[in-house]
Amino acid sequence: MISGYLKTIDKIRKSKGISAGREMGIIFLSLSLILIVLFILDIFLGSVSISPSDVISAIFNGSDDNLSTIILRFRLPKAITALVVGIALSISGLQMQTVFRNPLAGPYVLGISSGASLGVAFVILGLSSDLVAGGIGGLGNWILVAAAWAGAGTVMVIIMVISSRVKDIMTVLILGIMISSGISAIVTIMQYFSNETLLKAYVIWTMGSLGNLTSDQMSVLVISTSGGLVLSLASSKMLNALLLGENYASSIGLNIKLARSVIFAGTSILAGSVTAFCGPIGFIGIAVPHLARIIFRRSDHKILLPGTILLGGSVMLASDIISQLPGSEMILPVNAVTSLIGIPIVIWVVLSNRKYSGLF
Amino acid sequence: MKESKHSILSLNSLLIGYRAGRSKIPLLAPLNAAAEKGELVAVIGRNGIGKSTLLRTIAGVHPSLGGEVIYFGKSIKDHSGPELARKVGYISTEIFRGGHMTVYELVALGRYPHTNWLGRITRKDNDKIVGAIEMAGLAGFSGRFISELSDGERQKAMIARLLAQDTTVMVMDEPTAFLDIGSRYEILHLLHLLTRRNRKTILFSTHDLHTAISQADKIWLISDQKLLEGSPEDLIINGAFSNLFETPHVKFDSESGSYIFRGEESTSIYIEGEGNKRLWTEKAIMRGGFSVSGVKTDPYISVPGMENKKWRLVSQASILEFDSIYDLLKRICAG
Repeated sequence: MISGYLKTIDKIRKSKGISAGREMGIIFLSLSLILIVLFILDIFLGSVSISPSDVISAIFNGSDDNLSTIILRFRLPKAITALVVGIALSISGLQMQTVFRNPLAGPYVLGISSGASLGVAFVILGLSSDLVAGGIGGLGNWILVAAAWAGAGTVMVIIMVISSRVKDIMTVLILGIMISSGISAIVTIMQYFSNETLLKAYVIWTMGSLGNLTSDQMSVLVISTSGGLVLSLASSKMLNALLLGENYASSIGLNIKLARSVIFAGTSILAGSVTAFCGPIGFIGIAVPHLARIIFRRSDHKILLPGTILLGGSVMLASDIISQLPGSEMILPVNAVTSLIGIPIVIWVVLSNRKYSGLF
Repeated sequence: MKESKHSILSLNSLLIGYRAGRSKIPLLAPLNAAAEKGELVAVIGRNGIGKSTLLRTIAGVHPSLGGEVIYFGKSIKDHSGPELARKVGYISTEIFRGGHMTVYELVALGRYPHTNWLGRITRKDNDKIVGAIEMAGLAGFSGRFISELSDGERQKAMIARLLAQDTTVMVMDEPTAFLDIGSRYEILHLLHLLTRRNRKTILFSTHDLHTAISQADKIWLISDQKLLEGSPEDLIINGAFSNLFETPHVKFDSESGSYIFRGEESTSIYIEGEGNKRLWTEKAIMRGGFSVSGVKTDPYISVPGMENKKWRLVSQASILEFDSIYDLLKRICAG
């Protein structure tokens, strides 16, 4: 499906008389359409088959039967969550790849998601039994999400310190994996010393899901990721300068410390918020930005950021549709689906590294 | 003239080096130097002596340990990032690959200190970008990816970025280091053009003494922890170059302005004749370890001229003729 789209784009690109601006316009328009179609499909398709006409009447008439409950209480929030999660993870991945000048950077690979889950573990396992999953509400959600931001931010800073000393991309990745392992060891110890109820709450959280959010949690997720997104879009000029590396970036007038702070804050909020409510979701953050680069063939973040938003939402919605195995009673964990979609892209990036080593 | 009061760029007891914890590790003694508008300044010195650190400090990407770098009478420390970036631009030795970045996008980044917080490219910015690309000799390359360019073209793109940055001073760390001879001369020609036509002040470090001497308006020579400045000719006359790279095997020849291998210099030979052929015969003789004599020797060499078409080695006993310098030199070296 993706390669088909790429071929069409290539055809448009080669046809004469199309200006660069027009070409970008066509790509943005088509990606927006794909996103809308996937969003609608995600609502229409599910374990329970509901005919399209019933879906429409459920949404617009709001009749209080079972069908409309499924649509309004379950499928619509889940589709919105998928959209938000896809956008947030992909944007944080794009920012990290640019800041670390590392094509294989992403919230999951570098241990940022682990950092966020450590924050969550502290809250769920460490604080009090009042905050058991399900019972978490109101202020508790903000505590949970703030702990995730703090965890994600801490790991970001550690990775930054490491990669300012070690230039080799692979070394930084290996250290990222070590950090993840170290964190999961700490979490295991915390689990060992915590009581059964808390443990169960934590284990359920780690499984990750798009569909278990309460409406309170949804609003916390949407508000915080919107904040993160605003920070990211505002940093597009800084990100462009950082493509040149820090020496050149500062030689054209970028305040490196300010840029890092803004970008790190945005990334930590985006990756942390998602991880706090949906658990660690892998490979979206690393794969989608590459997809955007391949499709747009640009490095300008004023194009890549909106492009990654459209693609990230689409890929996550598609993953959600696949995970429900439409028409069957079974549901796959969404984490497995994103891995199966993302890993081939990552492998492709690694193998074509000769051509794309020049990515940064 | 407003500018004549201050140098475009001056170094005032500038101390360059690194900090390790609380202690300072200076690389050179405090430096004083200056550069004027439209000057091409070559920075020369042995590897590792601190040329790169000096250039980085002048460009403002590396902090100094003391003293001042002054642009138009204002210390670098009193500049904001964008303000400084509108006065001085910098190219390092780091090779920039930038896969999915096009030439236009790279050059557009030069407008960074001039654009608003969103980095919007206005019509005026666009004109500057297109102009810079053409000036650098890359017309028609706008849409090409940086990763597809040759080394020379990539360096031109980097220079176009500096042009778009619209600075008075350009600082380049070994801009010709990894280029083949053809591209090397193209880049040097471009630098020359920029100082003459656009009145840019360009500071560049190089190991190529020959170009530095023949092209630069001024040389900053770093040796023995000190910086000597002056025109290439002044520095040659006062013997500054002799101290720089001379080793037991290499010496500076102040007549040709280049370094030559020290031969045995046991024998000197007189050369009769003039013009291009004489010049290259001299060079060959010196390469062979001989020196050129001012008075007639036995044997002496006669270079092809009006009467004869061949090189001759004339001694009292015989006259030998050779078709090429190669054959001549082979005979002479054989004794």
